[in-house]
Amino acid sequence: MMDFLRLLARNRLAFAGLIVMGVVVALAILTPILPLAPPDVTNTANRFQPVLSEGAWLGTDHLGRDLLSRLMWGTRLSVAVGFAAALIAATLGAGIGIVAGFYGGRTDNIIMRGIDMLMAFPYILLALAIVAALGPGLMNALIAVAAVNIPFFARNIRGITVGIAHKEFVDAARLSGMKDARIILSEVLPNVIPVIVIAMSTTVGWMILETAGLSFLGLGSQPPQADLGSMLGEARSALITNPHTSVVPGAMILVIVMAINLLGDGVRDALDPRLKSGALSRPMPATKVDRKTIPYQGDNTDDSLLNIRALETQFHVKNRVYRAVGGVDLRVAPGQCLGLIGESGSGKSVTALSVMGLVASPPGVITGGAAYYKGEDLIGAPYKTLRALRGDRISYIFQDPLATLHPLYTIGDQLAEAIRVHHPVSRGEARARAVDLLKSVRIPNAESRANSYPHELSGGMRQRVGIAMALANDPDVIIADEPTTALDVTVQAQILSLLNDLRRERGLAIIFITHDFGVVAQLCDHVAVMYAGRIVEHGPTNDILRAPAHPYTARLMACVPELGQGRRELAAIPGLPPMVDQLPAGCAFAPRCDMASAACKTGDIALGTTQTGRAVRCLTPHTTAPVEVEV
Amino acid sequence: MAGYILKRLLSAIPVLFGISVIVFVIMAMIPGDPATAILGSYATPENVEKLNRDLGLDKPMVQRYFIWLGNMVQGDFGRSFSLNRDVLDEVLDRFGATLILAGTSFVLCSILGVAAGVVSAARQYGLADKAITFAVLLGISIPSFFLGMMMILIFAVKLRWFPVSGMWPIYGARDVPALISHLTLPALALAVVATGVIARLSRSAMLEVLRQDFIRTARAKGVPERAVIWRHALRAAMVSIIPVLGVQAGFVLSGAVYIEMVFQWPGVGRMLVDAILQRDILLVQGGVVFVAACYVLFNIAVDVAQSLLDPRIKT
Repeated sequence: MMDFLRLLARNRLAFAGLIVMGVVVALAILTPILPLAPPDVTNTANRFQPVLSEGAWLGTDHLGRDLLSRLMWGTRLSVAVGFAAALIAATLGAGIGIVAGFYGGRTDNIIMRGIDMLMAFPYILLALAIVAALGPGLMNALIAVAAVNIPFFARNIRGITVGIAHKEFVDAARLSGMKDARIILSEVLPNVIPVIVIAMSTTVGWMILETAGLSFLGLGSQPPQADLGSMLGEARSALITNPHTSVVPGAMILVIVMAINLLGDGVRDALDPRLKSGALSRPMPATKVDRKTIPYQGDNTDDSLLNIRALETQFHVKNRVYRAVGGVDLRVAPGQCLGLIGESGSGKSVTALSVMGLVASPPGVITGGAAYYKGEDLIGAPYKTLRALRGDRISYIFQDPLATLHPLYTIGDQLAEAIRVHHPVSRGEARARAVDLLKSVRIPNAESRANSYPHELSGGMRQRVGIAMALANDPDVIIADEPTTALDVTVQAQILSLLNDLRRERGLAIIFITHDFGVVAQLCDHVAVMYAGRIVEHGPTNDILRAPAHPYTARLMACVPELGQGRRELAAIPGLPPMVDQLPAGCAFAPRCDMASAACKTGDIALGTTQTGRAVRCLTPHTTAPVEVEV
Repeated sequence: MAGYILKRLLSAIPVLFGISVIVFVIMAMIPGDPATAILGSYATPENVEKLNRDLGLDKPMVQRYFIWLGNMVQGDFGRSFSLNRDVLDEVLDRFGATLILAGTSFVLCSILGVAAGVVSAARQYGLADKAITFAVLLGISIPSFFLGMMMILIFAVKLRWFPVSGMWPIYGARDVPALISHLTLPALALAVVATGVIARLSRSAMLEVLRQDFIRTARAKGVPERAVIWRHALRAAMVSIIPVLGVQAGFVLSGAVYIEMVFQWPGVGRMLVDAILQRDILLVQGGVVFVAACYVLFNIAVDVAQSLLDPRIKT
């Protein structure tokens, strides 16, 4: 509760709404004891006095009644009626919703059918029909407004109750022999009250507006009693000659409803966990770059196509900094395949996405390093440069193509678009090339398949479409982010051999992200092992598989089950990877490592070269005793 | 697709049935005797009894309901005593005017609201977003009848850009330019609230979609940001915006009642208010059932539009 109030107070607009509403309510309560002129005493000799005239600050209306006094009394009436309507609608609606949700089955079905029918009316028709039946009058207008809002509450509360009615504590209460009525009152009701409060706070403004509207139409409060709506209705005939009699009550309704809306938004935001975590931020077109240091490209003589140097990417959430990537160096040459391996959350994907500025930002920030493509640094490159290279020279294959393909365009259209954003070709030509691409990834009936939507394809098919899309513009580099994880083994094997063929035929450079050593062994000539945002070991695949130098690599490989070696125990790594917002000093793996010494936990450990082409970030690497793993 | 439309139309039958029951039940709550209400308090008991028999009010409720329903299905909505005219004729005349007003407003608020929501989301926390958010807050808080009055005061009385009220000039041709000049102010006043609501929901729908993986895919393909927003994100966001448009159509239709009063627009809303004040129950009943039925059909059209947009909906 205190948290809620603190959150509300932090939202300045909601706080302003709260203050304005507080003042309005206080004045409405105090109206009878304030020294105001009587609101209903007419004095036609003194009619239509302007604002700020003697004895009447806001002037007088068409019957010479003091407008200030009528405004105060009218506000009192409007606010009271609005709140009363909200309370009635909430109580009855919640009651209906709880009964429907709690009992379920037939009861629920019948009640909700009725609610659906009520909601099939434009709301005012129902209100007008009720007023027509009961006759004009403020009480009847109140009943009508409350009645048309009951379905809204009933539907909301029912949804919440259905969720609660099947929770363990309700079952427990039932088994203990409690009566339904008592369960509803003691177990269900306390849990739905916050929802009722939110729903009320967002609708009470509407209710005030709706009752004022009915009064404005002459169907609500009857003279001489006046709420804000009927004041406005009476002033309408003098709109052109004496606009102030309309502006005064109209502006008051505006102020009240606006204050309530601000407050209601604030209440909703304060209670909505998604907004608290900042999850509703829109990712920018390219990741934010804020680099302290830009490393020198190094010797430009090597043949690497993509050269990632000391890359650092962080996530800034509130006051926390998550170091997802903490200084990573990688390079690939044409025709080469580099495997990037590690547990979930080790920073593999973030490394890959950083290259093209595709890390969601906010919260992602690239805080250091460089990524040279043919000598040009992509980190911090202008959006135009990045866009021109994305999908054209460097393309991605993503995991889970159901989420990564647009659900509402056919795959043919999505492939054609990939071509057309980089090449000025006609629609028909792009289409033909799209079909060719589908054939090249061995999709049967490519012509007709091009007209399918992603949800109409199998997982393996979709993954091929993802690969076809990455190949659309004959890129130099493909970054594949776990493209086979969700697939079964035979499909996985097909896709790996497909990628392997393409690499040989087209001289593609591939960075292949995975957590599966088996896949690495099939496809990659080099492998880099990542742990907690850093490379811990790097070298030719065969060498590393034969003799892993880093204890983490060794443990990771020991997790892989093998056929025909049933006796071997699978050794899970004890403990969990560290949280990247509180990395330990020294080696991040030290807390889980058998060989860790005090020295491992103090200083930073460099990625040291051990043998030719191999590097390891460890003080006590395995050098002599290779782990027995046959590949 | 034809099968789907037919299925949706068939599913509307129980809803229409329910609507007629609800209206009938509400009207049956009227205290006192309708015949006395019609004839006035000086009527003789014999006359009251005769009228009751003529109106069929001596029969049981359920029977009366089915007679009423049967007549309506055959197009007989009864006769309005205050206008001395067939209810259906009057409602059809008036509904045309309402349709022009509410239809224009609906088109306006859909286009403006979605556009404002998209711009707001694309420039989240930027100046445009803040300006739109504030305008939206103002728009959803202002009573449309007050806004209409202020618009009359400024644009019709002070600036003389548009006529003060009515649908047609009193003298002069009843042509399209005349209609547009009469329509502009009421249509705008009516559109404001719904524009605000649609803008707000479009913004959050867009923000939701922009975080999806397929947006990252579009960017990874090299799709220009403008196309990412308007082609990829908006298309997907429309799936959750279109149902909101359907709901807002009901609010526009409801708000039309106020706007028709303020601008003296000869629509069905003003007819209903007058009928209520005259206690012309048959006219109220007929008008409410007719408009509600049209709204149900409109919502079916919305569902069909939704299924055209989203191939994942089975048709």
